[in-house]
Amino acid sequence: MPQPVSYRGMSLIVPDNDSEWKEYYAHARQHRLMLRACNACGLMRYPAMHACPWCMDLGWTWKEVSGRGTIYSYETVVHAIQPGFKDATPYAVVLVELDEQRAKPTADEALRIIANLVKPDGLTFEDAKEVAIGRRVRVVFQDVGESMALPQFTLTDEPPQGRVWRLPE
Amino acid sequence: MAMKTLKDKYCIVGVGETEYSRGSGRTTRAMAVEAMRNAILDAGLRASDVDGVLDYQGGDSTFANHVAPDLGIRLNFYMDVMGGGSSTEALIGLAMGAIEAGMCNTVAIYRSMNGYSEFRIGGTGARAAQPVRGMDLAQVPFGMRSAGQTFGFTFMRHMYEYGTTSEQVAHVKVAHSKHASQNPKAIQKERVTVQDVVGSRWIVKPLHLLDCCLETDNATCVIVTSAERARDLKARPVYIMGVAGRVSKPRVDYHWVHGPISRVAGYYAKDIVFGQAGIGPEDVDVTGSYDAFTFTTMLQLEEYGFCKKGEGGAYVSSGIIELGGKRPNNTSGGHLCEGYTHGMSMVIENVRQLRRTVDDTCPGAADGKHSYDYSVGKCRQVRDAEITMNLGWAMPATGSALIMRI
Ligand SMILES: [Zn+2]
Repeated sequence: MPQPVSYRGMSLIVPDNDSEWKEYYAHARQHRLMLRACNACGLMRYPAMHACPWCMDLGWTWKEVSGRGTIYSYETVVHAIQPGFKDATPYAVVLVELDEQRAKPTADEALRIIANLVKPDGLTFEDAKEVAIGRRVRVVFQDVGESMALPQFTLTDEPPQGRVWRLPE
Repeated sequence: MAMKTLKDKYCIVGVGETEYSRGSGRTTRAMAVEAMRNAILDAGLRASDVDGVLDYQGGDSTFANHVAPDLGIRLNFYMDVMGGGSSTEALIGLAMGAIEAGMCNTVAIYRSMNGYSEFRIGGTGARAAQPVRGMDLAQVPFGMRSAGQTFGFTFMRHMYEYGTTSEQVAHVKVAHSKHASQNPKAIQKERVTVQDVVGSRWIVKPLHLLDCCLETDNATCVIVTSAERARDLKARPVYIMGVAGRVSKPRVDYHWVHGPISRVAGYYAKDIVFGQAGIGPEDVDVTGSYDAFTFTTMLQLEEYGFCKKGEGGAYVSSGIIELGGKRPNNTSGGHLCEGYTHGMSMVIENVRQLRRTVDDTCPGAADGKHSYDYSVGKCRQVRDAEITMNLGWAMPATGSALIMRI
């Protein structure tokens, strides 16, 4: 994997020995959202860490997920601290709860991923006024160089899940 | 399983600090030396009585083995711990453990940082431009790097689940600014209103500028020794009733993975610390709740049971947490107004509250003579404070707690 990849003024570094992230981002570059599923108990996990947090097994299989989910929480960055994000403010950061494996293995658990809320092109940030807890999203991929893509999320027209809420302003 | 307790067997006997500034103009080593010297003098100890030193930092400070010899301290035990918020209470517990194990007799714990002029705690400057690798890849490429950006989800979800409002948590800043107006050391001494807070500019929604603490240059020190040793000393000993250190939620590396994200580490820490102390929240007279942000104080007070889960917004806006209220919080002004010290200053303040010697402007403060007049620029001593509690915060998934008594 050519190193490093430059994105919004940051150097993103995924060396060949990054056994957690290398394959995850290689899959993302093929525009596939793949998570590790435990060979012993079958539960998926994100981020793609070495052991299963539910049964401690070390075996995994990469499994593709639908990339569909619901905004579980969010924030809107108005004052960016990273120089490369200053021209993007205000931008929404979303915590997306994927449809797969919700409330498993306990009621508190889910597959949750952080991303930006973007337009369907995967490149442009969505108007931050559109973000709300409960709104439905799907994954889109933002290519970053030749070797990497960031999984981002964009709004869909599916009916919301539960109550839709955003910070009153 | 019930935890062991060392209730009342250890004491804090000395506290010290340097000025709270935004430009110390000196090294973290010099500041640490001065804070430790102040704490040693406060305790009525000599340098040769201190034989253990602990500190915490994030590669932004000076090591214990550099600070101790500057004061002529020969060490039987020292360690530098990687850590930020919530390390204060945890290191107090570790100091008790080191003494209990027979490794040393008296431990000085310090935190020294140029958090404004050198390594900005807010994550701006050099830190914002560091390469992104490893676990940072899950957050930082998405413009999520600072503490406020990392914790924002938690407060937003709390607002969604419980109806908590910006105006409610603004009362934390209002209360702490009232307290800071009685504190000559505080960086920001002006009292503010709810409207000032919610009218200040957005940093990361749901946080306004005045919801955020003040990056500060400062060093702080507390000294821990056995109750036996403490009895011979000049300073009135403050007894440690219970301590919980860096108690965590599951998935502590990525706190937002494990739900409900509006739950914080106090959920797990409270039974440990209250169990050791043999008391409950209703017995606590003064709280020191880590106010990196207004809402972190609200979340912790709620999680430790000072009110029902979900009612933190109502609790902090009720007047209870203000001087003159039933259970004041951060009577020095805390991180929001006095200055940011990674939790140390809130323990120091509670030690002084219990000794009845907070350093306000009352002429007889050092001798425990206070006016209890809480109007601007006057007293900040709480009348008859007997039990205090500190709630330390590293992030939503990790926290510490400390209960002390006089
Ligand atoms: Zn498993």
